[in-house]
Amino acid sequence: MSRSGRYLKTVAATALGRAPAGRGLTIFPDDIFLVSYFRSGSTWSRFLFGNFIQQDEPVTFTNMERVVPVIYNLPDRVLRGLRRVLKSHECFDPRYPHVIYIVRDPRDVAVSFYYFNLKVGVIPEGYSMDEFVARFIAARVIGYADRVGCWQDHVLSWVRLREGKPGFRLVRYEDLLADPAKQLTNLAPLLGVEPTPARVERAVQLSSASHMQSLEKKQSKQWVATKDTRQDIPFVREAKSGGWRKKLSPAAVRTIEQAWGTTMKEMGYDLVMDANADHELVKG
Amino acid sequence: MPPSQGSAQKLLDVLQQAGRVLTGRQLAGRGVTVFPDDIFLVSYPRSGNTWARFLLGNLINQNDPVTFSNIESRIPEIYFNRDRVLQQLPRPRMLKSHECFQPHYPRVIYIVRDPRDVVVSFYHHNVKARNIPDDYPMASFVPRFIAAEFDRRFGSWRDNVMSWAAVREGNPGFLMLRYEDLKRDTASALANVVAFLNRCSFRKIDSNLEALQRTIELSSPEKMRALEKEEAGRWVLTKGTRSDKPFVRSATSGGWKSQLAPESVEAIESAWGGLMLSLGYELVSRRTAVSVTGSHRGLPS
Repeated sequence: MSRSGRYLKTVAATALGRAPAGRGLTIFPDDIFLVSYFRSGSTWSRFLFGNFIQQDEPVTFTNMERVVPVIYNLPDRVLRGLRRVLKSHECFDPRYPHVIYIVRDPRDVAVSFYYFNLKVGVIPEGYSMDEFVARFIAARVIGYADRVGCWQDHVLSWVRLREGKPGFRLVRYEDLLADPAKQLTNLAPLLGVEPTPARVERAVQLSSASHMQSLEKKQSKQWVATKDTRQDIPFVREAKSGGWRKKLSPAAVRTIEQAWGTTMKEMGYDLVMDANADHELVKG
Repeated sequence: MPPSQGSAQKLLDVLQQAGRVLTGRQLAGRGVTVFPDDIFLVSYPRSGNTWARFLLGNLINQNDPVTFSNIESRIPEIYFNRDRVLQQLPRPRMLKSHECFQPHYPRVIYIVRDPRDVVVSFYHHNVKARNIPDDYPMASFVPRFIAAEFDRRFGSWRDNVMSWAAVREGNPGFLMLRYEDLKRDTASALANVVAFLNRCSFRKIDSNLEALQRTIELSSPEKMRALEKEEAGRWVLTKGTRSDKPFVRSATSGGWKSQLAPESVEAIESAWGGLMLSLGYELVSRRTAVSVTGSHRGLPS
């Protein structure tokens, strides 16, 4: 769309009360926010939590925006009438009353974000991964993403301000992946759900990577996040952890670890840098 | 208010907002366009930000003293000015903001002030803005202040201060300035700011002793009060507020000692004692002084 076209669309959306809520969202005291940096498993957790909360109808890409809506899509007016478990990518916002914060190994985030940006056309086919990693660290990828800061800013802003406070839960994507049933059970009180084994099992089944991949094949032209993107690259990718070992150069790994090593270790991510240093020590 | 009037007001707000978008007159606010050479002057409300704007404005542009009429074109604040107008200012810009941590602000001077003084100042400010009546009890105001009831966007004093300190402390693009230090020895605090601005390759500032002294005089409480008398009706932050209450108030530190009841002091100190200690604010209520001992190293939660 042309610049003036976009501009007129914004004017019309504002006048009709259709502009996406975003940061201007009205917040209620019992709201629950599912917050994460980009590509950190938030779509998967929308399926997982959505299928855990809602029993009548399984989550799909076509009903997800009403089950666990993202704050950047629907207008505030509509969001006010929905069940309020909301997905957000915002850096620390003092108003969010309950937050489930998902953190993921930034080396995996980098890889996933690279393919995502290929899919949406921010970077061209064949773009250098090393170059992308440098932009990723400096938060110079694309405007809307850069605005919420780099991975470390994002994680620290939430963890330093809210860790240990009632209403805040830090969940590692890797732990969610390893044992989703256990994590769901832990989060059940916050979500206001009775975690019966059947209910947990159903949520895990209906949110499996293979299930999501087959749904995406059918629905990617209808879902707002995928409809205008390259259809040859999937949105639901590996849904694994540790993929960076094959996709990142040693130099890229080093750059990430040098930039954010302390925070990574605090989040329980072992550094290659440290392993190498130990190795040197043993050899020496 | 009857519901029909409420929805009429809502409709009016929506139309006004649409009109602003249509004519490119949106207020900048959180959506302000940020340039890589911007410097942000950030603080919680009522922490000396306006005074700092006068000081820095007078230091940066020594031939044309800051007044309430020209401050918004010198070191404008982001909430009442239009993004499009702010974009036209000479670069590098210096902008005032009250936001909690904003990762995309490239360089930040953060002013922190003793929350016991902030609450007193904030109380009077809310009387002036007609948010609370003249005789509203301070003892009822303090818990509402602690709960950040007045402007939720900015968070509580603790959330605001800590969000910046926890993520940016030690970063070369971040300078934390205590209001009390600025008050006690303005010249050397200003010299620190100038050194910071030089490191940020901000425009050249003449900071010899004479220039500093002149700046301090031009930004004195007396000078600012006199300017407020003349210009309050025109300045965006004061027009429409009660003119019998000043915006520039006592401009001192420690006023809380005579204005806050011991229970109020204790409420603040037990909520934020650890953070206050780490910023060098001594605690006075016996109970809190004991209970936070041992947890004041680094930034507490």
